[in-house]
Amino acid sequence: MNKMHLPLLTASALLLAFAAHAANDTPQPGGHLIWGVETEPNTLNPQLNGQSKAELILRVAYESLLARKANGEFIPWLATGYQVSEDGKTYTFTLRPDVTFSDGRKLDAQAVAENFRHTQQPGYCAGSSLCALGRHIATVETPDDGTVRITLKEAYSPFLSFAAGLKLLSPAAWASPQLKAGGPEIAGTGPFILKRYDKGQQIEFVRNPAYRWASANAAHQGPAYLEGVTYRFLPESSVRTGALLSGQVDVIEGISGNDAGEFKQNPDFSYQHALNPGTPYSLFLNVKHGPTQSLNVRQALLQGLDIAPLLASIYRGERTRTWGITSPVDPLYDNSLDGKYGNNPALANRLLDEAGWATRDAEGFRTQQGQRLSIEIIQAQATVRDQRDVLLQAIQAQARQRLGVELKIRYVDAGTYVDLRNSGQFGSIANSNTETDGIDIENHYLPVNAGGSINYSRTDAPEIIPLLEGASQTLDNTERKAFYGRLQSFAILQQAVAVPLYEPEDQIAAASYVHGVGFRPFKQMPENAYDVWLSDH
Amino acid sequence: MSLESSVSVPRRRKCAGRSALPGKIAARLGSGVLVLWAAVSLSFLSLYLAPGDIVSLLVGEQLRTPEIEAAIRAEWGLDQPLWLQYLHYLWRVLHGDFGRSYLLNSEVGTLLLSQLWPTLKLTGAALGVSLLFAVTVATLTAGRPLGRRVAGALELLLASTPSFWLGIVLLFVFSFTLRWFPVAGDRNLAALVLPALSLGLAQGAVVAQVLRRGLEDALAEPFALTLRAWGVSNLTIRLRHGLRHAALPAVTLTGWLVGGLLGGAVITEQVFGRPGLGKVTVDAVLGKDLPVVLAVAIFSAFIYVVMSTLVDILYLLIDPRLRTPRPTGEAQP
Repeated sequence: MNKMHLPLLTASALLLAFAAHAANDTPQPGGHLIWGVETEPNTLNPQLNGQSKAELILRVAYESLLARKANGEFIPWLATGYQVSEDGKTYTFTLRPDVTFSDGRKLDAQAVAENFRHTQQPGYCAGSSLCALGRHIATVETPDDGTVRITLKEAYSPFLSFAAGLKLLSPAAWASPQLKAGGPEIAGTGPFILKRYDKGQQIEFVRNPAYRWASANAAHQGPAYLEGVTYRFLPESSVRTGALLSGQVDVIEGISGNDAGEFKQNPDFSYQHALNPGTPYSLFLNVKHGPTQSLNVRQALLQGLDIAPLLASIYRGERTRTWGITSPVDPLYDNSLDGKYGNNPALANRLLDEAGWATRDAEGFRTQQGQRLSIEIIQAQATVRDQRDVLLQAIQAQARQRLGVELKIRYVDAGTYVDLRNSGQFGSIANSNTETDGIDIENHYLPVNAGGSINYSRTDAPEIIPLLEGASQTLDNTERKAFYGRLQSFAILQQAVAVPLYEPEDQIAAASYVHGVGFRPFKQMPENAYDVWLSDH
Repeated sequence: MSLESSVSVPRRRKCAGRSALPGKIAARLGSGVLVLWAAVSLSFLSLYLAPGDIVSLLVGEQLRTPEIEAAIRAEWGLDQPLWLQYLHYLWRVLHGDFGRSYLLNSEVGTLLLSQLWPTLKLTGAALGVSLLFAVTVATLTAGRPLGRRVAGALELLLASTPSFWLGIVLLFVFSFTLRWFPVAGDRNLAALVLPALSLGLAQGAVVAQVLRRGLEDALAEPFALTLRAWGVSNLTIRLRHGLRHAALPAVTLTGWLVGGLLGGAVITEQVFGRPGLGKVTVDAVLGKDLPVVLAVAIFSAFIYVVMSTLVDILYLLIDPRLRTPRPTGEAQP
C-alpha cells in the first residue's frame, strides 16, 4: 500500500464515522412509534379525564394556553402571555393568532372562553375536578378576538395553574353527542390528531401537518417527526417488559422495580424515571374515628415505623422515600422534615404505653380494657398498583413486630369506598394524588365540609385554615412556600395526621433507536411524542 | 357478580316426551325469556342494595354541591323512584336501548357490541382447544394404563395451573423468546393462538378426564366386544362408537365449560392485552356502573339460554333413544 493513501483513508474513515454519528444525532422525520402503556383512559375527553396516566396519551392531541418550565415558571404556548391584576382576581390571556384546531376551526377568544364557561356547568363537569376550579370564576370576557379575560370571585393563586393547563377543545365539540366520551370527533390543537380508538386494544394518532405552535420548552418547532404514534394497552407489567425486550413495541412506561435492571444494564435500551408531582403515597390517619383519634397513637405510627428498608426491599431501591405533604419536585416543597422522624420504636412504644395501650393479648398485640389496638387501612381496589399491596403488608408486619399495633388492610370496591369515606368509619386511607401548585394540599387539608374533597385524615384543626388561606391569596411563591412549610410541620410533625411513604414516579424504557422520549417538565410525567424521532434500525 | 352467576348447568332430560322438536324449542324460548328477565331484575336489585349511593359514586372524590348532585340526578334519571327507574329500564331494553355507561360516558349497546366479537372469538377458539385436547387425549389413552397415567398427570397439572400463570409462561416462551406469536391485540389469527391455549387447556383437561372415563365404560360394554370380533380396528371403535356413548356427560360439561371460559376470559384478556368483555365487566362491577353490569347480565343469561338449548338438542342428535317417542305411564302392547 502506498504511504500516500494512508492519511486519505484515515480521513475518509473519520468522515464516515462522523456521518454515522451525525445520523444518530440529527432528528429525522418519519416512522411510526408503538408505545406500550399500562392504563386505558376511561374517557377520551381530556378535560373530564382525571387519570394521571391518561395525560401521556391525551396530551399529544390536546393543548393548553401556557406551558411550564421545570421550576414551575409559566411560558407561552397557545397564549403568547398573561397578566394578573394587582388584586389577584383578574387573569388576562393574549392568544397566538395562528392556531387552528385539527377540524379547521380557529382558536380565538370565543373558542377559549367557551372552554372556561363549561367549567362552570355542573351538567358537563360533575364528577371531574373542573367544577371545583370553575366555581372560582365570576365572569369570562372576550374584549377582542385575541384576548380572554377571566375574573374570579376572590383571589385564588392556584387558579393560574388550572387556567394555563386546561386542555382546550374545538368549538364543534360542545354540540357533539360524543363530548363526554371524547374521541376522534373532539378536535384539539396538538401535533397529533386522534385517528382511531379500539377499546381495550390501542389508540392511534397521526401527525398534524399544519402544526407550528409548539411551546417554548419543546425541543423543536414545526410538525412532529413521527408520522404517527400508537399507544397499545398492556395492563400487565411483565407483559410490557417482555413486549419491549422482544421488539414488539418501541417504548413502554410503568416498569416494576424488579424489571428496571433488565433495561438499565442493557445497551439496546434506555431507561429513565422521574418523580410525580403532588402528594406522596401516604397513610392518612383518621383523627375522628377509632384509636387514631389519639395523638399518641398517630405519633407512634409516624415515629415507630421505618419505611426506607421496606421500600428498598420491595422496589429494589427504585422508589423514593418522602417525608412531607407534597412532592420533592414541587417548587412549593419544603424539605425541612427530611429524615426528621421515624425509625424510633423506643419513643413509639413509650407513647403507646402512656396512651394506656400497655397490656398485650395472646398474639402480642397491645390492648386497653380488653380491646385490641387495631387500625383498619382502607384502599380502593381501583387504586392498587405499583405493588402497593405488598408495601402495605410489609408495614403491617412491621407495626405488629415493632409496636404491637394491628393494621387490618381492606381492599374495597368503589361503592364501599364511597360509603366509608363519606361516613368516616375507617382508621386510615392510603392514597396519593398528582395535582400541583398547592391544589393537592388544599384537597387534603381543607376541612371536609369546606371543600377538602380528599381530606382522608378528616382533620379540621383551626390552625390549618389561616395557613391555607394565606397561601392561596398571595402570588409570591416564596411566601406560599413558607405557609405550606408551616402547614407541613404542623400537620405531620405535630399532629401526625399522615405517615408519608414514597413518591410515586413514572418510568420509561425505550429501544435505543428511539430518541427524544422524556418527561414533561414540571408535571414530570412521560409525554412528548412530539419531540420523539426514530433512527435507522 | 361473575359471568357464571344466574345460570344453571343444563341437566339431561330423562324423557324427551311426545312433543316434537318445535314444541320443545318454544317451551325453551319461553323459559329463556323468564331467565333473562330474572337476571336483569336480580342484577338491578342487587346493585341498588350494594354499598354506595350512585350519585356519590358519580361525584367521586370531587367537589360536592347540591347543584352538582341535582345535575347528576337529572342527567341519569336518578331523581325518579326506584320502581319507575326499573320499569323505564325494562321498557328501554325491550327497544334495544341499554343506556349510557356511568364510567365511560358512552352508549352501552355500542360498547358491548364492539367488545363482544373479540370475546366470542377468544372463547370460541378456547372451546375448540378444550374439545380437541379432550377428544384426542381421551381417545388415545382410554383403557391404556401407561398412557392413562401420563395423561392424568398432565391433566391434573393443567387443571390446577392458573390461566394467568400459564398465559405468562406461554408468552415468555412463544412470544418473547421464540417470537412466533404477537403479544397483544386482536389483529389476526396468530394473536389468538396463545390466549386460546392459555384459556382452553385447563378446561380441556377436566373434560378429558370425564370423557376418558365414559370411553372406558363404553369400551367395556358387550357391543365393543362384538365389534372387535367383527375385526373393526381399535381406533375406529373408539372414534365411531365409543365416543358417541361417552359424549353425553362431556356435552353436559361443555355447558359448564362455556361459563368457565367466559369467566376466565377476564384474566386472559388482561394478560394478552386483548379487547373484550372481561375487563369492561370487571371495571363496571368495581365501579358500580349499573347500565354496563345489567347489559352484561342480559348478555350472559342469553348465552346460557342458547347454550343449554343447544346442549339439549345435541342430546337428541347423539342419543337416538331420546328421539323416539317413549311411552310414559302404562306399557303399550
